[in-house]
Amino acid sequence: MDQETWKLVLEYLAVKENARSSKAEIAMLKQKLYDWAGNDRARMEQLEEAISLWENTAELPDDGSWKESFATIKQQLDKTPVKKLKIAKWWPAAIAAAVIGALLFFVNYDKTPWANNQNTIIWTTKTAQPGKIVDIMLPDSSEIWLNSGSSISFPQNLKHADIRTVKLNGEAFFKVKRDPAHPFIVKSENIQTMVLGTSFNINAWKGYSPQVTVLTGKVAVSRDSAGVQSAAVHLLPNQKVVYDIKTARLMRENVDDAKIAIDWRTGKMNFDQTPMEEVFQTISRKYAIKIISDQSFKSCQLTAKFDNVAINEVMKTISLTFDIQYTINKQTIYIKGGKCN
Amino acid sequence: MGENNIAGFNDSKGKKFDEKAFADLYRRMYPTLKKYAIYLVKDIENAQLILNDVFISIWKNGTIISNEKAYLFRAIKNAATNYQKMSKVNIWPIDSEEEATEIIDLKETPAQAFQNKDRNRVLYSLIDQMPERRRLIFYMYRIDGFSYKEIAALLDISVRTVEDHLVKGFQFLQQKVLQNRSEFR
Repeated sequence: MDQETWKLVLEYLAVKENARSSKAEIAMLKQKLYDWAGNDRARMEQLEEAISLWENTAELPDDGSWKESFATIKQQLDKTPVKKLKIAKWWPAAIAAAVIGALLFFVNYDKTPWANNQNTIIWTTKTAQPGKIVDIMLPDSSEIWLNSGSSISFPQNLKHADIRTVKLNGEAFFKVKRDPAHPFIVKSENIQTMVLGTSFNINAWKGYSPQVTVLTGKVAVSRDSAGVQSAAVHLLPNQKVVYDIKTARLMRENVDDAKIAIDWRTGKMNFDQTPMEEVFQTISRKYAIKIISDQSFKSCQLTAKFDNVAINEVMKTISLTFDIQYTINKQTIYIKGGKCN
Repeated sequence: MGENNIAGFNDSKGKKFDEKAFADLYRRMYPTLKKYAIYLVKDIENAQLILNDVFISIWKNGTIISNEKAYLFRAIKNAATNYQKMSKVNIWPIDSEEEATEIIDLKETPAQAFQNKDRNRVLYSLIDQMPERRRLIFYMYRIDGFSYKEIAALLDISVRTVEDHLVKGFQFLQQKVLQNRSEFR
């Protein structure tokens, strides 16, 4: 049924259900619908279908989801007089809850079998094209920001899965919906990250050392080779783990401010002694451009911070640093000359 | 939060709230209100916080609100505005909403859902697959009974956009039902 007819159907139904509408008004709209249908039986059926859709959506099936949410309010009300909540104050509690939950989970984990039957699961893949950052809400209400050029796959039954498993290529920031009974696992190249409900960033570009940085909660990262996991490295907020591809080891490090790891969400780029090859890849994903260079810059490294600025600004800085010349032509940058300092 | 927008508050002569009435109000308002809060602040955790805050202030006030629906949605909107002023984080302009939130491949039929013949449930599982804004509009219109105009004001969009989303939402349902006629009967 076309849009105009649907508009008419909706108008008719709204007027019909409004006690203040006049009979003439209702009859007039009804006639319009009859005029549209004419003697066409298929059209009459469509109208009936439309009206039944209306009737069958009048109420919301109660899935009980409000109860969990209501329980949190009750908790707050049962406590001392309620103060005006401030968002910042809430975080320590959430972190504490996540840590406790995570600890409980790690104790219990070994008993949890992999109950999923992989054959029947339908996977959905979402991709952030170069130049774009995509915010995704998963069926279990976990939220994910996908960096440019990354993709994530998740099973359609994620909400009901015993273990919530998703697969990541590239980089993403996760805010996982807390659910102690159903651990959340991110599989990415070489590593597996397991959590309950927390926020963390995973950087796992193909061919580069993957990193996991924790903002809140507790996270367990293990090496994953062909589905077999090593012992897990546990991370707390402001810690990260880097997987060294050459030695095949997970190295835990403290970071000053884990938020820097998710600066990409606001369009920033941070490079810290980053090989130029990687810098160019990051730039080409962020700005959806191709970079063509007449030399490799293999031994060059860049340390720089960029706010969310235009590509010209970025290239200006790089050209001064490495003494290169460049031209931008539509979505391609041509680079000439240059030497490492 | 919400002191400056007590339109609809029936303060002095309102009946006292009991816990059951409060829970009932929460149950009725939660589905759409939560979606509305998420839509405004783009963050589930903070949306939940704002939602709870609004309900807690109602509870503390202890009176029944005469026009609860309008009041609650306005209160959420104000709280979300305050929150955005407060939070220093400016989220990077996210990709077009349709692309960003359409998380389920619409070509796939939710076979499991169709096995369960409860039409109302099946339809709402389809509605939950719609893009965020469309789903929210659908809920506000069908479940909470807001008019096009009221929805437009709450979402800061035009009446025509509201109508367009609803029409497309219903078209989507109709198309899905047609595709799965055999299972749907």
